[in-house]
Amino acid sequence: MTETMDKEIDVQDEDEAQEQKRKLGEMYAWQEGMSWNPVERVILERRSVRKYKDRQVPEKLVRRVLEAGRFAPSAGNSQPWRFVVVRDREMIEEMEKYVRLRCRVLKFLLNWQESPLGRLAWLNSQVSARLIPNLMHPIPFGAISLIADGKLKLFHGAPTVILILMDRRGAAKPAVDVGICGQNMVLAAHSLGLGTCWVGFVEVFKFGTKWKKKLGIEWPYRLVEGIALGYPVGKPDGMIERELREIDWWEDGRKRIVF
Amino acid sequence: MEMAFLSLKERMTIPTYDDPERCTSGRVAIDHERCNGCGNCALICPGACLYVAGVGKDKKAYMIDKPVPDCMSCNDCMAICKRGAIRADVTYDFGGFYKVLHRGELCPPRNF
Repeated sequence: MTETMDKEIDVQDEDEAQEQKRKLGEMYAWQEGMSWNPVERVILERRSVRKYKDRQVPEKLVRRVLEAGRFAPSAGNSQPWRFVVVRDREMIEEMEKYVRLRCRVLKFLLNWQESPLGRLAWLNSQVSARLIPNLMHPIPFGAISLIADGKLKLFHGAPTVILILMDRRGAAKPAVDVGICGQNMVLAAHSLGLGTCWVGFVEVFKFGTKWKKKLGIEWPYRLVEGIALGYPVGKPDGMIERELREIDWWEDGRKRIVF
Repeated sequence: MEMAFLSLKERMTIPTYDDPERCTSGRVAIDHERCNGCGNCALICPGACLYVAGVGKDKKAYMIDKPVPDCMSCNDCMAICKRGAIRADVTYDFGGFYKVLHRGELCPPRNF
């Protein structure tokens, strides 16, 4: 009696497993016309989350995410990173306040549309755009004003923040390794149901003596990126449209352009 | 398709980001037939480009009226909209030094 029941359960389990397979696609293999596998889904559906619930992320989950970062590939296995986890709400608020004040100063110096400096601010922005073109790209430039006006919060109210310090003595290109490590963590976090957002503005903390000491931004470390972590409000994830980019495709001795 | 080429003159020009004739910001298309004014998109827009206005049935999302809004066509609004009422239809290009090269059309993930 029990034997037949066991068999039935086995058959049911098998059916369920097949159904699951059909739904999720198979891992470690590709078939013509198959749907996205779970890893692809995580990659394609992850969106930057900019509105978080107040609920704190359990410590174990954060540890698990950090573990994904620890096993990221790095040049010469140099692992040129150091993590600072901030889960102190007051400290996060203080950090947001500090960056907002700094952004106000930057806005005063650079934003020619609204700064009382007028033409001088325009000159400032043109000169700095030539000196630091990446930081003065229109998007971060606009973000400076948004943060200064309080329309954008540095960590978007996330209850947990992971700061990534880069060891400047890392092999070859430590900045790239830090990016890879961060992406590992971000994707792992998404697969666990968390929302994340990269915060590059944390670089501003290098201007504050107090913060440098508190966050350990001292030789050989440099604070490069921050990751806001928390439970998203609503359902912000999903696949979207992105612009295609031209790809040069060399094969059989000639070049094609594909998208 | 635009020419994927950055001339020396373009390379030397740092755009002043407030002139819509010299730079294009991202832009979203909102289908007001489908939009029910829930405001989720306005809540999460990183560029603070969206707002909700109107009362009752006329409550809809709109894009702010600014010559060059801070929209970066990230499409986060498209992902959060349950009714499929919003999507970025123009991607940004600030021209000059920041001109976007080798671009194609907007396209969702393709299952090859």
